[in-house]
Amino acid sequence: MTELRKVLKLRTVISTSSGMAIATSCYLAGIQVATIVAGELAWVSILVAGFLCLLASMCFSELTSLYPTAAGIKLFIQNAFSERAAIIIGMFYVLLGISMVGAESFLLSSVLSSSVSLLGPEFDRFFWMLFFIAFVAFINYRGVLITGLVQDVLTYSMIAFLLAVSVYTLWIHPVDMAAAVAGPKFSANSVLSAAGVGVFLYVGFEWVTPLAEETTDYRLIGRGMLFAIGLLAVTYSLFTVAMYAGLTREQLAGGTPIPHILFGRNLFGGAGVILFVLMSVLASVTSFNSGLLNTSRFAYAMGRDNVLPRMFTSLHPDHASPRVAILALALFAVAVSVVTFFTGLYLFIILMAAALECFIYVVMALCVIRLRRKRPESERSFKIPFGYVIPVFTAVVFTGLLLGIFADTSRDFAGNVLFENYWVAAVMGAFFVLTAAYALAVVPVLKRKAAERSGKRERRRPGKG
Amino acid sequence: MAKKEEILEALADYQVQCNENKRLRRMQRDWSRLLHFVAEDTGDIFTMDVVKGEIVSYRPGADGTPDVIVTATSEDLCDMFWGDLNPSQKYLAGQIKVKASQEDVVRLDAITMIIWPDV
Repeated sequence: MTELRKVLKLRTVISTSSGMAIATSCYLAGIQVATIVAGELAWVSILVAGFLCLLASMCFSELTSLYPTAAGIKLFIQNAFSERAAIIIGMFYVLLGISMVGAESFLLSSVLSSSVSLLGPEFDRFFWMLFFIAFVAFINYRGVLITGLVQDVLTYSMIAFLLAVSVYTLWIHPVDMAAAVAGPKFSANSVLSAAGVGVFLYVGFEWVTPLAEETTDYRLIGRGMLFAIGLLAVTYSLFTVAMYAGLTREQLAGGTPIPHILFGRNLFGGAGVILFVLMSVLASVTSFNSGLLNTSRFAYAMGRDNVLPRMFTSLHPDHASPRVAILALALFAVAVSVVTFFTGLYLFIILMAAALECFIYVVMALCVIRLRRKRPESERSFKIPFGYVIPVFTAVVFTGLLLGIFADTSRDFAGNVLFENYWVAAVMGAFFVLTAAYALAVVPVLKRKAAERSGKRERRRPGKG
Repeated sequence: MAKKEEILEALADYQVQCNENKRLRRMQRDWSRLLHFVAEDTGDIFTMDVVKGEIVSYRPGADGTPDVIVTATSEDLCDMFWGDLNPSQKYLAGQIKVKASQEDVVRLDAITMIIWPDV
């Protein structure tokens, strides 16, 4: 069997997996974790969330070793359950996943408007929000790709910077762990609640699975995800505690959407602001760019499979980028961003993203269980050890975290109620019903029309007409 | 099961269809790749050389180090080259396997989509 000329190395698998997870909204999510559990002990929940994501990544690894394809999640669900389930869950996951841009663009625009003044804070924020989405959509439309080497340099630079700043901060602002452990906020319940939100910090690590086709050994993807989660766990744990220690009580109580910028200013003055603005821009652009790249290819493939209207298969005449898919997803991202801008409910989207991840991890664990029963003989280059224990545990724990998120109440640092989280469940439920209705009512029509079209066409292959 | 000769005949037609399509040539003008097509049921391998969007040669056997490896049954390969099969559908069902970058997967599928839009 021949091998590819250009294959991905473990280094790039790790940087892609962790790079997808690092975003501007992660700083705020870190502070939210610190709000639920004592700030000095936020690392406990972040490590718990990381450990649980590690279990979920093992499910992804086994499934990728079974079906090493960019069609990944859809194919896993299709083979484990049915095509209809794959369409409903796949579209639900992609559509809600892209809505994360609503929070990301809002927070990045807050970062930029706090440091670059144009016409006034509200206008600036709105401008930067649209500019960010338009910029990423444009580079996708033009078919500009971030190479593996660039991804490596960007991701490892960001991680090295965050680790260095964390160590420095904790050296000059030591934290009192013993007092925090004895405090009223630290309990098993709060640690688990915070871990539910902490899952958000790892959102996107699994989007490296479509790269399985570019590796020599599919196990590299699984190994890469494990290392990436470990790296993210250490980085976020240290940085969240450092940020908590480096912010004043007033700043924490103020409910700022840009805690890392205030933290940078406290630490290094104007230079700190510039550095963290740069970090934010890099993190947001790289994660949204990869997100849009993946989701637009998914939408294109759905169009080719007659699940979405045929216009989604339209390609740019020069760059072969799926232009309608990119445009449609960018417009959806703009719509969510505008809603976020006027409501200010960026935390709502962060929680929705965390819940969505919990949901998809449950689905993946169930796929592992189902496929082991349906296709026990199929070759797997990686199989999760200890039989069904880990997949069952993953499904149960993430179901618990999901329900925990829905049952909780979101509060600011001062303890004021922001919203009841059952609204997150309501919005997600509405999206799910919409995608299910689409799959049940529209997809059969599209499939029938496609069958009629190809039925009218004569086969070209000689002797097969 | 398609014979090697049948697949070579299909490849000859595929080459003409690709090279004569101006829209495709424009889109793929910066796409130069060495492709291997593997018929998993017969074990036959075919090499295709694409230079700036033009299929300059194809031949039986695995020559050189490829940028793209497509694995399918001989029947599916034959149907794909004749334009009688939607490669995306087969790919999404796991029946055609591609080892390549995501970009190359889209580029490869684009060939069929542009030459035979009704498939």
